[in-house]
Amino acid sequence: MKKTITIPLGSQHISLLEPVRFNFSCENEKITDVDYNVGFVHRGIEKACTEKFEYKQVGYVVARVCGLCAITHTMAYTLGIEHILNIKTNKKIDYLRILMLELDRIHSHLLCLAHTAENSGFEGMFMKIMGDRELVMDIQEAISGNRVQFDFVCIGGVNRDISTECEKLAFTNLALLDKKVDDLIGKFTSNWSTALKYKNIGALSYDDAFNFNALGPLARAAGAAIDVRAESSILPYKEVGYKMILGQNGDIYDRNLVRLKEIKNSILMCQNILSGLTEGEILVKFKGKPNGESFTRLEAPRGEIFYYLNANGTNMLQRVRIKTPTFSQIPGMVEIFKGSDYADAPAILASFDPCMSCTAK
Amino acid sequence: MLHIKRFLKKSPWVLHYNTGSCNGCDIEILACLSPRYDLERLGVLNTGNPKQADIFLVTGPLTHRCHDRLLQLYSQIPDPKVVVAVGSCTCTGGVFKDMYNVNNGIDSLIPVDVYVPGCASSPELIMDGIVKALEILEGK
Repeated sequence: MKKTITIPLGSQHISLLEPVRFNFSCENEKITDVDYNVGFVHRGIEKACTEKFEYKQVGYVVARVCGLCAITHTMAYTLGIEHILNIKTNKKIDYLRILMLELDRIHSHLLCLAHTAENSGFEGMFMKIMGDRELVMDIQEAISGNRVQFDFVCIGGVNRDISTECEKLAFTNLALLDKKVDDLIGKFTSNWSTALKYKNIGALSYDDAFNFNALGPLARAAGAAIDVRAESSILPYKEVGYKMILGQNGDIYDRNLVRLKEIKNSILMCQNILSGLTEGEILVKFKGKPNGESFTRLEAPRGEIFYYLNANGTNMLQRVRIKTPTFSQIPGMVEIFKGSDYADAPAILASFDPCMSCTAK
Repeated sequence: MLHIKRFLKKSPWVLHYNTGSCNGCDIEILACLSPRYDLERLGVLNTGNPKQADIFLVTGPLTHRCHDRLLQLYSQIPDPKVVVAVGSCTCTGGVFKDMYNVNNGIDSLIPVDVYVPGCASSPELIMDGIVKALEILEGK
């Protein structure tokens, strides 16, 4: 006779960076049902963007939706408002923006890998990856002046140009990191504690990836070719050497590998941009107030990010709607949890790379 | 007699709770525990259990939903304890000030000993805050 027990995880837990609450219903070791509560960090940013802040300030406010993909939020908002204001940016601005987006993706993916390693009980690997991650943080700090919340993008361009010293530092650090990622790929394919243990654990099938609206690395690990960088031409990703990376089984093992290979691809893109950067203006002047509406899609480290903006010719926007990747992925996450062992729950959770600040806003 | 205070300073365990921050300060706290900054050389260990903690690291402007949880966690930490507010929004509400679901900083609810500024606070500042917290812990 099986008896169902309910085990809570969160809202405060050592394996969680952010407050989120899961209630796992378990039969013996197997999870049969999951109840979730993601609204702990709701602050009301969408409302404040239309009532408290002017449209020129909103870019910096939406960066505070999420610290990990801050630049993606600012970027998506800026592209949207530039579409309304009809501002055309030059090639140099586009490249600088992609550079920061990709550096952000590298550090976000590394953090996710470190967190997965920690939650699967491999503390040493966590330390190693966090140590490697500092190489990217140094580049970000040198370019933008801050490690995490770099308000680099503004309407009409970017706030800072890259100096020669920054460029030199970026090349050295990226080359170093490239070697370390190769080493990590070896460890994440052959080591028992981080890799082989997690084959077929937390798997999402190819069909389910579409059925449950999976995005980002979660979908790509299952073999579904979903990536805004390939679908949209709003930023010139194809020119800088973007390549779609796909997995096969959609388990934790594949998700880790997809992330690692994406880091390799991002490093390549950054190197291409840095070596091909030309002289030019970093800020385009513009006039007028926004009037109209726009839809923007952009690939954040966790998947597609969506912005809807509506302006009526005043300084205040009428509507700012943000749809974030983690929010759309929750049904898929719940499906993966069902049937898994409870002992794997923290590792599965970390491998989703969930971002509750994004979800609750 | 056990000189608890003398030994307490050698191994202060921290409890970390996010009350609605953007994650920026949380990943910087994580970076503090990584090899570059390495808070563990001060004896600091990250714990998930409030009953074992000495230093309470709080981030975020305190959303209404986290209100009760923060109070519960604070009351479960045994005395002597030190509260460190990490980040501008934790100190005053910062960019989230006067948003409809926010309480403008955690000091409206619990007493704060050390305020760490910055959006996001850099690891150096967080470590500085923890070292200050250790001095306060000794005096408590």
